[in-house]
Amino acid sequence: MHPVLQNWRSLLVWMAAWIPLGAILVLVAHLSGPLTIAQSAAVLAPAILVLALVCLAPFYVCRSLPLRSASGAKILLNHLAAAVILSGGVMLVGRFTASLLGLDRGFAPAVPMLAVITLMIYLLAVALHYAALELEAARRAEILVREAQLKALKSQVNPHFLFNSLNSISALTAVNPEEARQMCIRLADFLRTSLRLGERASVPFAEEMALTRMYLDVEQVRFGSKLRVQQNVDANCADCDVPALLIQPLVENAVKHGIAMMAEGGEIVMSGQRDGEWLRFVISNPFDPEAPSAGRNGLGLRNIRERLESRYGGAARMEIKVETCSYRVALTLPVRVLR
Amino acid sequence: MKLRTLIADDEELARRLLREFLKGEEDIEIVAECGNGFEAVKAINELKPDLVFLDVQMPRLDGFEVLELVESDAAVVFVTAFDQYAMRAFDAAAVDYLLKPFTRERFGASLDRVRTRVGDVRPMTFPQNLKQASRAPGEYLERLVVKDGPRVHVIPAGRLDYAEAQDDYVALHSEGKSWLKQQTISSLEAALDPRRFLRMHRSYLVNVERIVRIDSNTKDTWAAVLNDGSKIPVSRSGYLRFREIVGGQ
Repeated sequence: MHPVLQNWRSLLVWMAAWIPLGAILVLVAHLSGPLTIAQSAAVLAPAILVLALVCLAPFYVCRSLPLRSASGAKILLNHLAAAVILSGGVMLVGRFTASLLGLDRGFAPAVPMLAVITLMIYLLAVALHYAALELEAARRAEILVREAQLKALKSQVNPHFLFNSLNSISALTAVNPEEARQMCIRLADFLRTSLRLGERASVPFAEEMALTRMYLDVEQVRFGSKLRVQQNVDANCADCDVPALLIQPLVENAVKHGIAMMAEGGEIVMSGQRDGEWLRFVISNPFDPEAPSAGRNGLGLRNIRERLESRYGGAARMEIKVETCSYRVALTLPVRVLR
Repeated sequence: MKLRTLIADDEELARRLLREFLKGEEDIEIVAECGNGFEAVKAINELKPDLVFLDVQMPRLDGFEVLELVESDAAVVFVTAFDQYAMRAFDAAAVDYLLKPFTRERFGASLDRVRTRVGDVRPMTFPQNLKQASRAPGEYLERLVVKDGPRVHVIPAGRLDYAEAQDDYVALHSEGKSWLKQQTISSLEAALDPRRFLRMHRSYLVNVERIVRIDSNTKDTWAAVLNDGSKIPVSRSGYLRFREIVGGQ
C-alpha cells in the first residue's frame, strides 16, 4: 500500500497540498472561457480529487521500473503513456461533471490547456516518487552498513583473549612492571587499530597484516616460546585492497584452536603472493587432533565466507584443508588496488 | 601443617601470578606446577596435594577431565577467563571459581574459603559429583577420558560404539577394544548427547550410528546388530526409544 494512504494524517497533508494546485487549474479554466470562478471550481472539483489520487499511482509504476535496472527509453515511454492516458481520463471526468451542470460549452475551450497542465503535474509526481524511493534505498543501505559494522565490532574482540591478556598484565605488574607497561601498550595498539579498521569496508593488505602483527605481539606475551610465527609476504601485496578484519580472525583461530591447545606449542606459517589479478594468502598451523575442544569453531570461518561472497560474488575462494595434525586456510581474492 | 598446593595452568604468566600471590602465605607450600592436563593428572595422583589451582582450558585434557581422572580429595579452585563453566565447577564440588583477572583481595577470600574447607571433616567426593555435573542444555561431552594404568586414554564420543554396565564400572567399547571406567551407566548417559546415544537396555548405552538393524528374538525382546557384528540386547522401552528417534515403524 502507498505510504500516504497508510494513515489519515499523511492523507490529509497530501490532499491539502492539492488546494493550491487545484486553484491554478480553476484559474486556468476561468481565464480560458466564459466560466466564472465558482462555476470552474464546481466543474473541476471531482476531477481534481481524482487527479490527487491518480498522482499516487507512480509509486507502483516507479517500483516496477527502478531507475537503475530498466533502460531510460523504456522508463520514459512508460511514464509518458501513463501520463497521457491518465490526464485524458481526468479530462473526461471534468467534461462529465460539466455536462451534468449544463456547462459543457463554457468548459470546452479550457480542456487543451488543462490537459497539458495535468500531464505535467503527473510527470512531476513521477519524479517526486523516484526521489523518495532513492532516499529510502539510501537510508536502508546505510542501516545495513551500520549493522554490519556493529556485528564486526562485536565479533572482532574476543572477550577471552581480552581477559587472558589482562591477567598476563596483572601477573607482570608484580614481576616485571616495564614489561607490563609494554603489554598494556601492545593491547591498546591492537584494540585501537582493530576499531579503526572495523569502521572501514576495505583496507590495504599491508594494514591488515600490521593488525595481525599487533595481535600476535600480545599473544606472544601470553604464550612465550610456545608461539612461533613465520611470515613470507611479497612486497607487491601491500597495496591490494582486502575486506577489513579478514586475516586477523584467521590468525586468532590458528592460535586459539591450534597453538594454545598444544603442550609444546607450534609454528604458524603465513604466506602472501600476488599473481597477476589474484592475491593468494595461506595460513597454516599445527593442531592436536586429540585436544579438548576450545569452544565454538567454524562460526568465524562462516562469517568470513559470507563476507567474501557478498563482496566478490563467486570470484573469491576460501579453501580449508585439514590433515591429521595440520590445518590450512587458503584465500584467493581478485586484486583491487586502492588509490 | 602446611597446605601442599599444586598449580595447573598452561600459561607461564598465569602460574607466575598465582605463585606471586601465594608467596606471603605461611601455610602454603607449592609442590608442583603443571602446564597441561596430562602433567596435572600425573602430578595430582603422585603428590596427593591438599589444594589444586586448576585452569579449565589446557592442552591434552581440560580441567574437568583432570578431576575425573584423579583419585584425590584435594580442595579445587578453578582459575579461568571463562565464566560459563561456573555451574559445572560447583557441581564438581570446587571450593571456588576465580575469574581472570582477579584482585589480591579476591584471591585472599578464596584462600580463606579453602582453609575452612580443608579443616572440615566431611569427606569430599568431587569425582562422583562431577559425573553428574550439570551441563548447559545442548552441551554434551565430546570425548571420554579413561585411565589406562599410568596413561590416559581419550575416546572421542563419535568413536564410542557402545557402553556396557559392569557393577560400579562401565565398559566402553571403541574400535574393537574395551576400556573400563569407574562410572555409572546412567551418569554416562546423562553426559552424552541423547540424540546420538540411546539406552537400549538397562545395561547398555549404544551409539545410534552404529546400529545396522534390530532383530526380533521373541515377542518382547530384541537384539541390535552393530556394524562390527556385535549383538546388543534390547529391552521393550529401549526398542520404543529407538523407534521414536529413527521415526520409522
